[in-house]
Amino acid sequence: MSSDYEFSDDDVDNVFDDEDIEMQDDDSDGDDGGDMDDFKVAPKTTRKAWEVQFDSLTQASIEKLMEKDVEHIRGILGVDESKAGLLLRHNLWNKERLIEQYMDNPDKTLIAAGAAMPEPEPPRPSRRPSRKPKASASPKSDTFVCSICFDDAPDITPLSLDCGHAACSGCWSAYITSKIRDEAEHACRCMAEGCGLVASDEFVRSAVDEDTYVRFEELLVRHFVACMPHLKFCPYPSCTNTVSCPGAASKTSLTTVVPIVSCGARGLASTSSGSMTQSQELTRQVTGKEHKFCFGCIIDSDHRPVVCGVALLWLKKCRDDSETANWIKSNTKECSKCMSTIEKNGGCNHMTCKKCKHEFCWVCMGPWSEHGTAWYSCNRYDEKGGVDARDSQSKSRASLERYLHYYNRWANHEQSAKLALDLFAKTEKKMEEMQITSALTWIEVQFMKKAVEEVDKCRMTLKWTYAMAYYLAKGNQKDLFEDNQRDLERAVEDLSELLESPIEPENIPTLRQKVTDKTVYVQKRNSIVLEDTAEGFLEGRWAWNATVEGFEDPVPQDP
Amino acid sequence: MDARLRRVNKEIADCKNDKTSNIRIDLIDSSPFHLKGSFPGPEDTPYQGGHFEVDIVIPESYPFQPVKMKFITKVYHPNVSSASGAICLDILKDAWSPVLTLKSTLISLQSLLCSPEPNDPQDAEVAKHYTTSKHSFDETARYWTKMYAQAPGAGVTKEDTVAAAGLEKAHVDQFEALGFPRAKVVDVLRRLNYRGANVAQITEDRVVEELLK
Ligand SMILES: [Zn+2]
Ligand SMILES: [Zn+2]
Ligand SMILES: [Zn+2]
Ligand SMILES: [Zn+2]
Ligand SMILES: [Zn+2]
Ligand SMILES: [Zn+2]
Repeated sequence: MSSDYEFSDDDVDNVFDDEDIEMQDDDSDGDDGGDMDDFKVAPKTTRKAWEVQFDSLTQASIEKLMEKDVEHIRGILGVDESKAGLLLRHNLWNKERLIEQYMDNPDKTLIAAGAAMPEPEPPRPSRRPSRKPKASASPKSDTFVCSICFDDAPDITPLSLDCGHAACSGCWSAYITSKIRDEAEHACRCMAEGCGLVASDEFVRSAVDEDTYVRFEELLVRHFVACMPHLKFCPYPSCTNTVSCPGAASKTSLTTVVPIVSCGARGLASTSSGSMTQSQELTRQVTGKEHKFCFGCIIDSDHRPVVCGVALLWLKKCRDDSETANWIKSNTKECSKCMSTIEKNGGCNHMTCKKCKHEFCWVCMGPWSEHGTAWYSCNRYDEKGGVDARDSQSKSRASLERYLHYYNRWANHEQSAKLALDLFAKTEKKMEEMQITSALTWIEVQFMKKAVEEVDKCRMTLKWTYAMAYYLAKGNQKDLFEDNQRDLERAVEDLSELLESPIEPENIPTLRQKVTDKTVYVQKRNSIVLEDTAEGFLEGRWAWNATVEGFEDPVPQDP
Repeated sequence: MDARLRRVNKEIADCKNDKTSNIRIDLIDSSPFHLKGSFPGPEDTPYQGGHFEVDIVIPESYPFQPVKMKFITKVYHPNVSSASGAICLDILKDAWSPVLTLKSTLISLQSLLCSPEPNDPQDAEVAKHYTTSKHSFDETARYWTKMYAQAPGAGVTKEDTVAAAGLEKAHVDQFEALGFPRAKVVDVLRRLNYRGANVAQITEDRVVEELLK
């Protein structure tokens, strides 16, 4: 994105005054549980503290915005549509700067954009703006030899832009296709050396096949979106939606908000509508992963509650220290009692060794009995050890242990979330069972699915709270943050364990009540973590122990 | 016939028929898409008298994407990697145009030898040498031409690492006398650009410090 692009308020107004914008489904959370009376969630009247205002736009609505700008420039500068488009693209869609430059020197501006030739065009009978590729008949005879491929077959069609540099249609087609497909370039300049004329959209359309032209149109939209600080293209593969989020358009805003947005689509874009049945399409829309991403950075998932700067710092640290951390990431551990290998296959941290029945915590490997229902302080790193560390060797050891404490928990939640897919499958099976063994209807067994979704969501929050806690400066605020983190973690583990408990037909009503209650509680704990953190950013309450872009320098930590 | 094949065949034939230019394009094996270009070093340059060979690979989308070229012959030049022969030249990248040919590109390489662009270097060490001491650079480039490009020159039979690195024998001897291996001394002095006016800027301690690393 160009940094010298000056963004004016008018642009924002233009975007949002546009009545023509097709709004996508504005339910940003995706799941509303409208038909599930079990979950009495407050209706979404106001935006929550951890949410940003954003809108989703389709490719067609971005194209409309582009057309509007082209029309605007066409009216002011008195150039045709094709030239107006080329001028805008070359000037990164900055209308004010374009108009200023054009008023100053129209010829120079047109030439730079590839919309005109440097020298006056050779006299022609009429100076109609030519928007169609014209077949420039060879002046002397009918034997045209293409200067690119040396083809001299009588049936080849010579083509040229307004400059008259002719080549056969096959070469034009191959050239423009290569520009679009190999270079992702939308401005295709004339093939002649030193000729800066850019092919018009009409010319491109006539030169390439349908698929390549579709790609060309997408490149134009992507370029426009990249020029606008308040727009971002959806990063999900083959999705062509754009999100508008003016509240996160500036770098400074990223110290107070975590702009997690969604383009409104789910799953993979259906390539051709014919290949899916209606019910398959419906399933995709409901079960496919929502296109959630961060507007402020390159992370294409929800990294709330932590701000972009800290999230990126943490990811870099994990990358740099990946070797040290690798052994932890591994999926298998040994039972601390009988040393037999244990594989984690569910989301729950309460492990029971199949061999010796020893119960322990997957995260700290400590006996589960010590955690009990309290799950005491498994989330908090005990800094006491650091005090004794006098020589540099034990200091660096202490700092590694500290990092591993947070990394271990971060990786565990990530791993558990990955296993959520299995849990989903298992849950589906359980839901089927329940419909058979009890009088519950399909709707009434949905509480299981809802609970799994909630656990998944909360593990994402928990995961990033460990990145945040690692960088939080020691003190009261950090303690309160970790209290909230612990409460959420405990609630999530409780619910997680409940979901993996076996189902007895006679217990289903109790189970349903328990799961439902715990789901509501987990939701509440998650909201508390998200809300308190978001408010803390707005109030500037969080202080770091490392330098984070946009924040004050860290307060020195006592050794 | 395939347009790419027709074009390359014609380019090879045209080059053969052109008796005025001294550019040659030869097949390496049976494929017309992997070729060897060659040209004499331009006159009045340190490359004069040398014979320079270039590896040419014609990509699938030629001529709509640029041809891939690199020097086979070792060349001492700011825009050519002294190790790999990779070339930094705009027409081999974004300034490529489908009307350019293998021959015109080889001519461009030949003229690149006449007019180095040290501000857009491929080989930063060579570029530093060029900007700090043009005279010493020319000498080294001439040595490389004799050594690697078969330029007729008396007395060059075995590679002289000191001359090839563009250093002075006295400087290398001086540090070797302190007990460091000769190859290491050459390597460090080359990296530090211990040449011309720069020698006065670099203290002996600094060199020793590097040598001890
Ligand atoms: Zn052609
Ligand atoms: Zn032209
Ligand atoms: Zn999307
Ligand atoms: Zn972010
Ligand atoms: Zn065991
Ligand atoms: Zn534990």
